[in-house]
Amino acid sequence: MTATALVSIVDDDESVRESLPDLLKEFGFAVQSFASAEEFLASGHVDETRCLVLDIAMPGMSGPELQRELTRRNQPIPIVFITANEDSSECARVLDAGAVSCLIKPFSETALLRAVTKAIQTE
Amino acid sequence: MAKDLAVAPAERVPPIRPDYLLVADSVPALIGIVAPDGAVESCNRAVLEYFGATLEEIRGWATSKLVHPDDIPAVIASQKHSWETGERLLSEHRLLRSDGVYRWFKIYGEPLRNAEGEIVQWYLLQTDIDDLKRAESLLAGEKRLLEMVALGRPLAEILNALGTFVEQMAPECKCAVFLIDPGEHKFQKGFAPSLGEAYTRPLQGVPVVPGSAPCGAAAVNKTQVIAFDIESDPRWLASSYRDHALAFGLRAVWSTPILSRSGEALGTFAVYQLHPGSPTQIQQDLIAQFTHIASIAIARAKSDNAIRRSEAFLAEGQRLSSTGSFYWRRTTDEIICSDETYRIFAIEPGTPVTVKLITSRIHPDDLQRFNARVEARRTDGSRAEAEYRLLLPDGSIKFVHLVSKTTATESGEMEYTGVIRDVTAARVAEETLGRLRSELAHVARVTTLGALTALIAHEVNQPLAGIVTNASTCLRMLAADPPNVEGARETARRTIRDGERASEVIARLRALFTKKTTTTGSIDLNEATREVVALSMSELQHQRVAVRLEAADDLPPVKGDRVQLQQVILNLLLNASDAMSTVEDRPRELVIATSSDGADVHVNVRDTGIGFDAGDPDRLFDAFYTTKPTGMGIGLSVSRSIMELHNGRLWATRNRGPGATFSFSIPCEAPDLLGAPGLTDRHQGMMVG
Repeated sequence: MTATALVSIVDDDESVRESLPDLLKEFGFAVQSFASAEEFLASGHVDETRCLVLDIAMPGMSGPELQRELTRRNQPIPIVFITANEDSSECARVLDAGAVSCLIKPFSETALLRAVTKAIQTE
Repeated sequence: MAKDLAVAPAERVPPIRPDYLLVADSVPALIGIVAPDGAVESCNRAVLEYFGATLEEIRGWATSKLVHPDDIPAVIASQKHSWETGERLLSEHRLLRSDGVYRWFKIYGEPLRNAEGEIVQWYLLQTDIDDLKRAESLLAGEKRLLEMVALGRPLAEILNALGTFVEQMAPECKCAVFLIDPGEHKFQKGFAPSLGEAYTRPLQGVPVVPGSAPCGAAAVNKTQVIAFDIESDPRWLASSYRDHALAFGLRAVWSTPILSRSGEALGTFAVYQLHPGSPTQIQQDLIAQFTHIASIAIARAKSDNAIRRSEAFLAEGQRLSSTGSFYWRRTTDEIICSDETYRIFAIEPGTPVTVKLITSRIHPDDLQRFNARVEARRTDGSRAEAEYRLLLPDGSIKFVHLVSKTTATESGEMEYTGVIRDVTAARVAEETLGRLRSELAHVARVTTLGALTALIAHEVNQPLAGIVTNASTCLRMLAADPPNVEGARETARRTIRDGERASEVIARLRALFTKKTTTTGSIDLNEATREVVALSMSELQHQRVAVRLEAADDLPPVKGDRVQLQQVILNLLLNASDAMSTVEDRPRELVIATSSDGADVHVNVRDTGIGFDAGDPDRLFDAFYTTKPTGMGIGLSVSRSIMELHNGRLWATRNRGPGATFSFSIPCEAPDLLGAPGLTDRHQGMMVG
């Protein structure tokens, strides 16, 4: 709930890593971005992350796999999935696995803000 | 001799001079002297010896049996004519020899006249012509039977006529011909004109073994068997044949094998006598001659049968294969056709086939080609093959395949012998297949488009997400107080960059889809492959597949349809990715390699997926074969069709390690473009003939 809540972004797409942090900072969040799930897990920011904005399809460990890994580690960070794939079944699967929201790219700032806010409130 | 007598001294009643009697007695012919009224006056010794009778007995010839009773009326008539007119007496009749046998004689009678010209005596010279007569009738009978054989009369008719004739020639005998079934070693039908079916029928089916009957022994040993008296002959005492023969009153049984040219027993010729005995020389000659004729008749019937069978076989074969045969003599335009050829041309059987009739059946569009080929100069032994369409009277169209051979006769005439095959069904099937193939290609294209649409969405949505986010950020920065102009500029700059990225994606897609019609052009497969890889990269990444393109340097261009080839590559990439979707224990690697051996360009797509079962890898390319629960199985079969249309090949191999490699090869573009084969050229070969 605090303005300094940390939102971590994990996406292999560089344009997302560049654009999203600025927007979230505009909303008053602290932001860290990572190019892969492995990088995020190794970063030391896992514990303080209040909301994870996570791409579904990535080389190496995918978004859903990271979701499972966090559950396994008993670190249930609220996750907002983002995906460029219009296949709705993918979204349904990650929501079933406990994700807060699943946004299909491109998404509006309103939808993003609503999802991130909901995630942080969920915590 | 009669003339010599005629010049005897003209006395009223000339005395018979002793020297003349001496001469007459030494002549081996029968000489008689009769009065003008026909009364026998005297005869030579040969007459007395022949009849074994006294002169007195001879004088009563008209009421005794010395002249065959059947011939007496004719003898009396011809004598009466001569006695009245004085014309030379000429007649033939049978005289009874002392042993009871009638023999044929030819009689010359010359009158002896006195000085006044009155007939005082007749001198009759009687010559034995029995052997001649017999030879004549034998010859006539033989000729008649051989005529029947030559005319192809039924075997039963010939063999019955043969038996009847032999019985005529040897009235003391009865005879029968039995046929043998070569496979069964049993007697078949028998032919016995006077003994009848009652005699032959029970013998039908009797095994051909020596103990069964004299005929069995003759057939097995291939030699004549003489049973002097079947009643007492120890060889057949126990056989049921003995009783059968005795029931018909037969005693002497003489069986002669009827052998084919190759020595095979075709049957037996049996001659019987109602009293015990052995055949006389005359009977033996008769048996030998007619056994030979029977063998000719049976062999002919057998070969006729074989020909009929083979003709039926051929006709059935022609019918089953829809293949007809024909013979065409060019100089006379004589055409001979098999039944199936009649059927193919829809010509009423039996109608004389003319060139005009044939050409009236050729499809108008093919007629010129047909005529040109017929008129083409041919050399002996040359072979021609062509395919034409027929337009039949009922309006239907047939496709026929024609193969013919030219033969030159000794006089240099050209003859065509050939076969014509109705290939309509195959052509129709081919057309249907072609249509089906293009339908499948369409389905595949739609399916591919579906996959592509998802790829496009993904590719375009990525930069769009950046654009929307950046634009939102930009607006927020500008709306702040004070506005964050520097930040807004930065985000606006990124917006532009993402927009450019999106338009690059669109440009790539346009490159792929603007060539959607089948166009043949020069293609760099490296570039084409790179485009497909770029388009499917995100889908492959999504499947966590590591892609590596190993593009050969200086890859020669190939000729073909770019979109179709890219569809094949895309299909192989997506298949490879699908094959690795369940693989968790090893890296999902996809290597696309291009190479060339100078003649062909090769593209290999190697994955580390689940591979395919051992067995026939070609099955993978069957339409509707699929290992994927959601697959349609059309992709690979259509891909292969596309490769074949490019004169290329598509095949699959199992990797030494995990996974499979799908490869295709296409001939390099020929540097000389003149006359380079187009995609459909290979189909034209069929019509060229």
